Amino acid sequence: MNTYQNAQFAALGDATRRAILARLAEEGPLAVGELANEFPVSRPAISQHLRVLKSAHLVIDRARGTRRLYAVNPDAIADLHKYFERFWTQALRAFKKKVEQDAKEA
Amino acid sequence: MTSMTGSTVPASVKKSVTVRADVKKAFRVFTEDYDSWWPRSHHIGKSPMKKAIIEAKAGGRCYTEQEDGTECDWGQVLVWEPPRRLVIAWQITHEWGYQPDLAQSSEVEIRFTPVDSGTRVDLEHRHLERHGAGATAMRTAIDSEGGWGSLLQLFATRANQD
Repeated sequence: MNTYQNAQFAALGDATRRAILARLAEEGPLAVGELANEFPVSRPAISQHLRVLKSAHLVIDRARGTRRLYAVNPDAIADLHKYFERFWTQALRAFKKKVEQDAKEA
Repeated sequence: MTSMTGSTVPASVKKSVTVRADVKKAFRVFTEDYDSWWPRSHHIGKSPMKKAIIEAKAGGRCYTEQEDGTECDWGQVLVWEPPRRLVIAWQITHEWGYQPDLAQSSEVEIRFTPVDSGTRVDLEHRHLERHGAGATAMRTAIDSEGGWGSLLQLFATRANQD
């Protein structure tokens, strides 16, 4: 396991950070203030959590006018997509084999 | 998907396969005989998987029986319309545990359509974004040595040999 992955596990070891990430996955991109309104922690604390998430490459940010918006790193979701692509290809192949084997025996 | 302007909503995973069997038979093998084809490496139990079960009704459990006698839920039948349509909630967290909250689960819809050569099975795995926070950690688990990824490779190799 490389250090990049270790950083991700460490970043996800905190319940507030997991909640922030879940919120961004649902509604992102969001500004710090928008997130602070929804969590029982201070705005500086939210900023600190976002810094940890960003350094673990779980979150990306971008300046939008005077605001800075945070979103889940889409690469993470893209890889999940790739994983299921591969998974269902294999599972359906096994399914087809079973159905047609049964049909032959019947 | 890489845009910052909208939320991160990934496309569904869509797969189709045509099998030489009628619709009833295809649906039955997919559900009742699910244990006979489901890759053995795919379960979230702590001990090896003994049996995979999809209960034949709306609200039915999708679970595995493990060799140590425990049962592991991983999903729930949301729509049960034999022999044409089936929707299952994919209730697995990024830590490969059971996710009781349907709002944080993705969905798999399977449709069975008669065609000249048999049955076309269309599968759609959607709402992957609901795994949200777990997505990156899931990738880590998938990519890690000995994770599902490499087990899948073993399975693929074996399936291709037969």
